[in-house]
Amino acid sequence: MIGFLTLFKREVIRFLKDALDTIVPPTVEVALYMLIFGLALGPRLGNIEGMPYIQFMVPGLILMSIIRNSFLNPAYSLFQSRWDGNIADLLSSPLSASQIALAIILGGVVRGIIVGTLVFVATLIFASFSISSLLLALGYAIVVSMAFAALGCIVGLWTKGWEGIGTVNSFVLDPLVLLGGVFYSLDMVSGIPFIEPLTKINPFTYITEGFRSALLGNIETAMFGFVLTIGLGMIFLVLAIMLFRNGYHLKS
Amino acid sequence: MKIPAVSFQSLEKVYRNVTALKDLSLDIQEGEFFGLLGPNGAGKTTSLNTIAGLVKPTKGKVLIDGLDAIRQYRETHRLVGMMFQDIILDSRFLNVHEILVYHAGYFGIPRRRAQELANELLKRLDLWNKRTARVQELSGGMKRRLMLAKALIHDPAIIILDEPTAGADVELRLLIWKMMEEFHEQGKTIVLTTHYLEEAERLCDRVAIIDQGKLLVEGSPEELMKRQNQQHLEDVFLQLIRDDSV
Repeated sequence: MIGFLTLFKREVIRFLKDALDTIVPPTVEVALYMLIFGLALGPRLGNIEGMPYIQFMVPGLILMSIIRNSFLNPAYSLFQSRWDGNIADLLSSPLSASQIALAIILGGVVRGIIVGTLVFVATLIFASFSISSLLLALGYAIVVSMAFAALGCIVGLWTKGWEGIGTVNSFVLDPLVLLGGVFYSLDMVSGIPFIEPLTKINPFTYITEGFRSALLGNIETAMFGFVLTIGLGMIFLVLAIMLFRNGYHLKS
Repeated sequence: MKIPAVSFQSLEKVYRNVTALKDLSLDIQEGEFFGLLGPNGAGKTTSLNTIAGLVKPTKGKVLIDGLDAIRQYRETHRLVGMMFQDIILDSRFLNVHEILVYHAGYFGIPRRRAQELANELLKRLDLWNKRTARVQELSGGMKRRLMLAKALIHDPAIIILDEPTAGADVELRLLIWKMMEEFHEQGKTIVLTTHYLEEAERLCDRVAIIDQGKLLVEGSPEELMKRQNQQHLEDVFLQLIRDDSV
């Protein structure tokens, strides 16, 4: 257990010591989104799902930050260790493959939750938003960050260069998140060719919708997204642990 | 019969089309000071990395104190302290002292004890004044000392040193050999690879010479010199490698 906790602590210290590059930028980015889309353009869009647009954006922006940061932390940390060669320290230690994978993934979860919390605080500067059920919201956020940290772990093992992480982020994660109801509801794109079907088949739409409901304390409507995230998370988690056990891109 | 500290059993490793190890069988007894010698590319690092869990054998197995290094790696890794040939240090955000404390943590050593052990090793390896320095501020020799400290921090029964004195100055070489002689006297098993054959001749109880992944000879330096009718281990080495390449 000491070995596992040591690695988990290392993963957390790694991004905390580099907070200016890891925690501050996503918070500033979201503040900019709030300023431009919420304050400048929002009033022209009126109410969405019974609330001002700027308020509607808050859950999506928090979720987007959680997903990105919990994904990036393990992906960069793992690839950096492979690149520098010090992954050998872990592989030659008594830590099991599952312990290494889980400690790295949990590091990503912590970063996702810290950034998500800071982003939430930043949004409060621009919009009033009260969380109805903190427990439900936190539970949902942890499950989401766990799922995408596991995906980050897979990508950190799979990639052969730094660019690979950026490629997955730009060509897979960002389009799915941005077309997944962060900035609009399904009703808003009803009848718009290409965008409506893309949004409907995108699982992120339901994850975002679920998170929005979770923040508002609506358990029933949050449940589908919650279950979907758990399902995705289990697939990513099992895959990440299996890859570690097989020494994929770790052992020759 | 005593269980060998390290036992390579019909070990074979093939990388795509290159055979790095061919049916390597070799026992290293507990408490031995053992030299694994061979030219560059002979398979020394590959065989040692199978012990560390970085290389998966294509065939055969490696036993550490009778335990399978692949299946029972959590137990075998506790027994082994590995100083890798390449300098690999968690250099991005930890200082010298922290690197050792974290490394000890991976081996299950509680933080307070890890700090004590790190302090002792840093003093012993003449790195105490650099304890708060970043790796980037260390010279090549200091980095090697730190690599050695990492290998020793969990007090392993088997110490494996892959070319520990490569690029080291005389002072560091003498320090490493002095420490290893002390560990040898304490009964620890020491396995090393080196290109300094006169040192291997002086220090090792037994050596094995491998080339192109296969074992050529093994025995005490005296035995091998007598067998090959040579004055020095280096001459034995050169003769065997020359014969093998014909």
